[in-house]
Amino acid sequence: MSETVITLDHVSASERDRTLVEDISFAVYRGEAVALVGSNASGKGLVLRLCAGLEAPASGTVRVLDADPARATEEQLLALRQRVGFVFAQPALISNMTVFNNIALPLRYHTVFPETEIRERVLARLTECGVDAFRDRMPADLTLGDARQAALARAMVMDPDILCVDEVLLGLDADELVRLRKILERYRRAGRPTIVATVNAPTSLLRVMDRLVLLRDGRLVATCPPAEAPLVDDPMVQDFFESQ
Amino acid sequence: MIARTGRKTVEGLEFAAAVLDLGLRAFRELFSPARRGRGEVFGVITRQILFTGVDALPVVGAIALMLGLIIIIQAGTTLPQVGAGAFLAKIIELTVVRELGPLLTAFIVIWRSGTAICTELGNMQVGQEIAALDAMGISLIRFLVMPRVAGVIVAMICLTIYFDFIAIVGGFLVAKVHLTIPIQVYLEEIEEALSAADILVTVIKSVLFGFTIAVICCHHGLSVVGATTEVPQQTTRAMLNTVTACLFLDIIVSVGFYL
Repeated sequence: MSETVITLDHVSASERDRTLVEDISFAVYRGEAVALVGSNASGKGLVLRLCAGLEAPASGTVRVLDADPARATEEQLLALRQRVGFVFAQPALISNMTVFNNIALPLRYHTVFPETEIRERVLARLTECGVDAFRDRMPADLTLGDARQAALARAMVMDPDILCVDEVLLGLDADELVRLRKILERYRRAGRPTIVATVNAPTSLLRVMDRLVLLRDGRLVATCPPAEAPLVDDPMVQDFFESQ
Repeated sequence: MIARTGRKTVEGLEFAAAVLDLGLRAFRELFSPARRGRGEVFGVITRQILFTGVDALPVVGAIALMLGLIIIIQAGTTLPQVGAGAFLAKIIELTVVRELGPLLTAFIVIWRSGTAICTELGNMQVGQEIAALDAMGISLIRFLVMPRVAGVIVAMICLTIYFDFIAIVGGFLVAKVHLTIPIQVYLEEIEEALSAADILVTVIKSVLFGFTIAVICCHHGLSVVGATTEVPQQTTRAMLNTVTACLFLDIIVSVGFYL
């Protein structure tokens, strides 16, 4: 079995004084693509942020790339976050920067690459995500789907070890969904990182995944390959896949 | 009543501790030798100086000119009537350089830049931009707070000196229509009345006001949790708290230097 990059061990977590995740344990291995699947109130967004080390658990242990985010110093956290790319449900592009500058920001901040190399890397990512035509536009001028693709390009530009995508389907039309599936497939073929994404509806994108982590009301229902998921003996899971 | 007073006191102390902590972290970052994001941070500092300093020159100039005119006309016409015409320069030095220059400049900076800083950071919180920066491993203190603090301090020093100059010279030139005193004599008297301590106090006040404005407004902007309705609420609080803090600091510095 390959190396573990994310481990959640009996983790419970809360948000705004409400416990949203209870006693969850699972591991994600290097190079694996995992979808956190569940309805809107299943706590998958919080689980994803725990996986990225952006939240500390109320109890239990989280380890991300051999680090414990709850006990890490600020410097260690900053170093960890350079190795984890995160796409929020909202695109969260910096509103007073062009799309190009948004994607160049982590490179300009963390590296000492010359501007020519930064430009090359940013343009490669923009082209890969299909938003190179919008590079000089401001985020407010983009559709939600394009802004999310730009946010994906920004998360990928540092070549992270782990790529986390929240609400992967949000704002995508049918064409954009196909484009995203191709991006993720290409990304995986290139031997790139572990992918963890949250999904709240049945989609062809699940076929790209190695494993699904099925969640309901903040609890783990099952983990299984996509093909076996509809067979899981749980009414929520069966309803979920029947709605396809 | 006692419980309410106690609660308010605790809230006040918590606020002061949080602002002080943010200020100290920004101050440490200002002198940090770390190379991380130096170019980007320098860009933010430059934009802040441009917005707070350069863009404010017309409004600061206009207010300084009007204030200078009012004080010079009042003092220049009243003082000779009581046989104290020779104190015109001293009155100007006392009111403009020591007190009104730094204080009114601070108020203008609060109204223009303090509100802008608070609103910008608040909206960034709502749009998850702050969370995105954090997720990218970009230090919020280094990228957002410290450049604003440095930019506002530099702009405050320059604007206060500009305010004093316009109020003293510009005000006199406009008031010249009514006054008989020659400009050469007036400027010599001003030069005589001004001491090194006055200039030092002006600079100290500018630095303290700039630091206070930027840190308090950043604190309130970053305190927005998630709703857009919180942005104007935090901005109002930021205005009230910065004005109070600046007046409080002004009293402390004036008492410390002149009593």
